[in-house]
Amino acid sequence: MTGSVIVITSGKGGVGKTTTSANIGTALANLGNKVVLIDTDIGLRNLDLLLGLENRIVYTIVDVVEQRCKLKQALVKDKKNPNLCLLAAAQTRDKSAVDASQLKEICETLKEDFDYVLVDCPAGIEQGFQNAVAGANEAIVVTTPEMSAIRDADRIIGLLESKEGVERYRLLVNRVRPKLVKSNDMMGVDDVVEILSCDLIGVIPEDMNIITSTNKGEPVVNDEKSLAGLAYMNVARRITGEDVPLLDIDEPTGLIDKIKKFFLKKA
Amino acid sequence: MYDNEYFVVDMASCTSTGEIINSLSLALETLNHSGKKIVLKLNNNYLNQSQILSMQSLITSYGCILDTIETTNPETAAVAQNMNIYVQQPIEKRVEEKYDEDENLEFKTFSLDVQKNPNDITLKEVNGLHFEADLDAMSNNQNRIDIASDLREAGINPKSDFDTIEQQISNQYSRVEEIMDTVEKFSPSSLDINTQVISEIPSENESQIMPQSVITAENDDRVEQNKEEFENAEKNSIGVYKKAYDEDETNEEQWEEVDFYETSTNEPIISDTKETTYITQTLRSGQVLEFDGNVVIIGDCHPGSEIRAVGDITVWGVLSGIAHAGYKGNASARIRALKMNAVQLRISNCYSRRPDGTNIPYIIRSSIFTPEEARIVDNEIVLYKINQN
Repeated sequence: MTGSVIVITSGKGGVGKTTTSANIGTALANLGNKVVLIDTDIGLRNLDLLLGLENRIVYTIVDVVEQRCKLKQALVKDKKNPNLCLLAAAQTRDKSAVDASQLKEICETLKEDFDYVLVDCPAGIEQGFQNAVAGANEAIVVTTPEMSAIRDADRIIGLLESKEGVERYRLLVNRVRPKLVKSNDMMGVDDVVEILSCDLIGVIPEDMNIITSTNKGEPVVNDEKSLAGLAYMNVARRITGEDVPLLDIDEPTGLIDKIKKFFLKKA
Repeated sequence: MYDNEYFVVDMASCTSTGEIINSLSLALETLNHSGKKIVLKLNNNYLNQSQILSMQSLITSYGCILDTIETTNPETAAVAQNMNIYVQQPIEKRVEEKYDEDENLEFKTFSLDVQKNPNDITLKEVNGLHFEADLDAMSNNQNRIDIASDLREAGINPKSDFDTIEQQISNQYSRVEEIMDTVEKFSPSSLDINTQVISEIPSENESQIMPQSVITAENDDRVEQNKEEFENAEKNSIGVYKKAYDEDETNEEQWEEVDFYETSTNEPIISDTKETTYITQTLRSGQVLEFDGNVVIIGDCHPGSEIRAVGDITVWGVLSGIAHAGYKGNASARIRALKMNAVQLRISNCYSRRPDGTNIPYIIRSSIFTPEEARIVDNEIVLYKINQN
């Protein structure tokens, strides 16, 4: 079995790389795939928190690299889904504790046992990014519909194109607010795709549930009512090769809109 | 009550688990009881499964078997029954005390009967009400037989009668023994009988009864007090920090063998005579404090920080990072904090983690401090309130 290694990156910080990793990972696992999440944000780890696995971490990726434990010992199994594992980053070290070849080796090893190896990339284009991308053969570029994030994403796409291993990269537009897009206060998804001229893998609407889910340590995908969770689930299905249409993220605002939408759906 | 096989350990006076285990190990150490069945008298103390289990393992380590638990606490009884331990309700003390005095009365009449009509002694005379009294009389059986032999020695009865008397007595003895067995099995019913007897004591004896009732009241008070103390103790020992390797064991099943917890315990155990360092700042995420001795931190330890000490760790503040006391293999090391919220607690090679919950509780800083101490009990890390033993 040879799984694919997907790196989730953005360049700019705070656009939702870690949230995306946690949710896509959980969604893929819920779909029945064996998934391992690797947190490469050494020194600023957060992925464990989002999955609610912080208290289970005994060994980290640095311990694996420095051969204090075996790779499989360091994999933390998810509370709910046994298909999902986490390889946590060390909090007490920094990015230089691991180098690109070591991470590539880890990815190569994990590829054999798992369907999907998701690598959560740190912000920036320095060593952390270089490490994360090293083993990847696919990439998801996360961006928000803001100029700064788009510019950083553009830079990242440029770097990914120059990387040898990365065969494919797709764009994920995060934190879209349909209302603002409608009122022309925010760039639409189409604009973003046009600027970056890149395949789109999904659109995630802004969702308040994300905040509570982060605090709870429970990915939003597990919440069926959440629109963002649904969108992440669709992204996961697209990763598995399914053809899923884009989610209608236009939130009906008033009662009349709701009724309109109801009848439109019927018709 | 119990024959040679059994060994009764009365721990009704103990109030806390620590005391119970202490006295139990003392009792087992001082005498050689290997192979014996242990009967634990626990009074009204509530023990949960792990506590009983630990006691059971303690008893087995001395080569004995925990056979019976005598308790008045229904929860303990339920737990013990779940663990396939025979449970019985003890005959309440006050009743026994009462009998110490009543018995004379009953016994006298009985022995009078013996003297009057030795030939007519049959159990039919012994009706239900006098039942327990007879048993007590039988427990003093030696006296009775002595009376018979006295009679024989005195030559009061003709020889021909004697054989029949002796036979009758021995018959009666064996029958009473049978009844004793049944009573042992159904001791609660015997309790009822006792109370009936008490109520039927003639009014002359009221003066005698009065102090007894006072005694029982005192007893009840004591029991209640015990119960209260014990409940407090239960609340104070917050519970076992779950073992971190519960999950890892499941990993173990799926993966190849994992020698996770083979940390270096070969090194000599270092007691807390080591030097101590004082840190007067807050440990933040990513900071590691490692020290070859005891550590005292005046400040908080935020999540993501890690403390490793050869000796004890004391945090004068909120501990919410990882604390590893005795990390070179000192199982008697302890971790103390004003507020224990540690992501993981590790002592020596024993790992435990915080119970699952939301991330919020340790983001919110509480002004309510509940000083706690973590230490190893039966290879598990247990939190105790610091003012508690």
